[in-house]
Amino acid sequence: MMSTLLDIKDLSVDVTIDKQEFNVVNNLSLRIDKKQKYGIVGESGSGKSLTSLSILNLLPDVLHVSNGHIMLDQTINLTKLSKKEMLNIRGNEISIIFQEPMTALDPLFTIEHQISEVLKFHEKYTKKEMKQLIIDMLDKVGFSRPKQILKSYPHQLSGGMRQRVMIAMALICKPKLLIADEPTTALDVTIQAQILDLMNALTEDYDTSILMITHDLGVIAETCERVAVMYAGTLVEEASVQELFKNPTHPYSVGLLDSVKSLGDRTKKLYSIPGNVPTPAQLNESGCRFASRCSHVMDICRKQDPPQFVINDDHKSKCWLYKDGGKKNNEHYQHTIESK
Amino acid sequence: MYTYIIRRILMLFPVLFGVSIFIFIVMRIVPGDVAMTILGTDATPEALEQLRKDFGLNLPLYEQYFNWIGGVLTGDFGESMRTGQEVLPDILNRFKLTFELTFLSALISWFIAIPLGIIAAMKRNSNVDFGVRIISLLGVSVPNFALATVIILILALAFSYSPPVGYVGFFADPLKNLEIMIIPAVVLGTSMAGAVMRMTRSSILEILRQDFIRTIRAKGAKERIVIFQHALRNAMIPILTIIGLQIGTLLGGTVIIEQIFSLPGLGQLVLTSITQRDFIVVQGAVLFIAFVFVMINLLVDILYSYLDPRISYK
Repeated sequence: MMSTLLDIKDLSVDVTIDKQEFNVVNNLSLRIDKKQKYGIVGESGSGKSLTSLSILNLLPDVLHVSNGHIMLDQTINLTKLSKKEMLNIRGNEISIIFQEPMTALDPLFTIEHQISEVLKFHEKYTKKEMKQLIIDMLDKVGFSRPKQILKSYPHQLSGGMRQRVMIAMALICKPKLLIADEPTTALDVTIQAQILDLMNALTEDYDTSILMITHDLGVIAETCERVAVMYAGTLVEEASVQELFKNPTHPYSVGLLDSVKSLGDRTKKLYSIPGNVPTPAQLNESGCRFASRCSHVMDICRKQDPPQFVINDDHKSKCWLYKDGGKKNNEHYQHTIESK
Repeated sequence: MYTYIIRRILMLFPVLFGVSIFIFIVMRIVPGDVAMTILGTDATPEALEQLRKDFGLNLPLYEQYFNWIGGVLTGDFGESMRTGQEVLPDILNRFKLTFELTFLSALISWFIAIPLGIIAAMKRNSNVDFGVRIISLLGVSVPNFALATVIILILALAFSYSPPVGYVGFFADPLKNLEIMIIPAVVLGTSMAGAVMRMTRSSILEILRQDFIRTIRAKGAKERIVIFQHALRNAMIPILTIIGLQIGTLLGGTVIIEQIFSLPGLGQLVLTSITQRDFIVVQGAVLFIAFVFVMINLLVDILYSYLDPRISYK
């Protein structure tokens, strides 16, 4: 039995616009084990990035956690930490890599300065030790001439190189958890795979867990063990990666998988889920948030928000079709298919 | 970098050449006659003609120009038509005062503007921020002669104090010097501070929205480091631009403030020389002011590349 590293329980995040509050992440619960590679997948606007930012309390000013808690190592409640205590967590216990490597580094400082900051904030090393550590780390993330990189400025490096620097910076204090928020989205396809491999290899060396935030199911398949599907701020389905790809249950997950092209099947028209993710202001109070776009929608879906139904031991789905567990509510399912 | 500086200094020559021709021509176009202002309206035509000849004003324009500019190139700015004093030492002497006034005003403005701008940006939309924005708006919009007059009046009426008149060099008598300079410097400093404060606030706000600030926070940086090491340095370029322009302008003399406080600075020299049609002094002073202005610009450009490694001059 692996032990829990990060336990998010009933997390809600609200945004304040013109003094009105809208809910953007709703009662989200998930658990990441030590050394586990956990993925959150969803469209833009699904709240996956906000979830990751709320772990480190890096939410922009207009957003705040309104409910729930995030436990690290089952003892530290991250939502209750003081600013000062949070500083010890950031970059030390939990690190984060962002989507856009081109703008994620301060343009006015050398790579050496920017990596050494993490060490200065959290460890006590001499200058010489620090330099050696940074050189070793740059070597590990795949720079062939790390000493040259030390003196470089961000604008002298390509996007892929900058993301490697970000990884070096994130892992140099050997954190327990690495949050990767769309780490490869802005990169060339050829570089994407390299970066993912690198993250996989290094986190295994350091016994670091990964929380991978992405809209790309391919990235999930390549890196993760467990996956949560998010839609409009709610977690709609959670399962092991194998289980989700083999047996997706929530209509949104099914749609998401169908909208990915597979090489073997060239005749099938690429599926797209009709409609858009509702904006926070468009969400109605009760009922399932996916109801307006769901092809299997039932009366109950519009009236009552479904709870998480257990499909099997490692598979949960937030859909009324599964109110009897793994057995799909076939009567209704048949009905909707016939009526199409 | 050094080749860049040398090239920029070489580029000064065409600029200053243009300025010299411009001011030379303008001074000949403006109506009025230096001989008349010296000898008075009662002077005989012969006497006037003789004086013009003495000044070389009867020569063709190009000859007059080359006589003057040839002297300037060898460091001889000529002599004042009114007083017969050498022009360059007079300019340099007055520049000392103008330089000190500018330097003091700039220091005062930075001490007010940069901290307040930073605080306003950090506490955006708070009462502090509104207060700072009102102060900076006042600083920008209240004319400095109005502020100067109000300060003098308040000091005179409430404290029966009036600032000493005239100028004493800093090294001759530092205390006396500061007593003379402090009020004009405060007046100029506060009006400079308005613009700098606004730029500091908006530029830091802009930087704080950038992705890399989030990265720095994610590393576990204290707010102090986020603001002073990263945000402020990134925000410095537009602030420096404003400061450079302000200093360049002030070094050219501040006619009104010098007049109000009876300070014999560069501005006053230019003003009196113009009213007396003292061509040689006006030409020399304008050329000197232009030179100082372009040098300040060069200095600002060099500082840019020092602050931001992305800016390189090749």
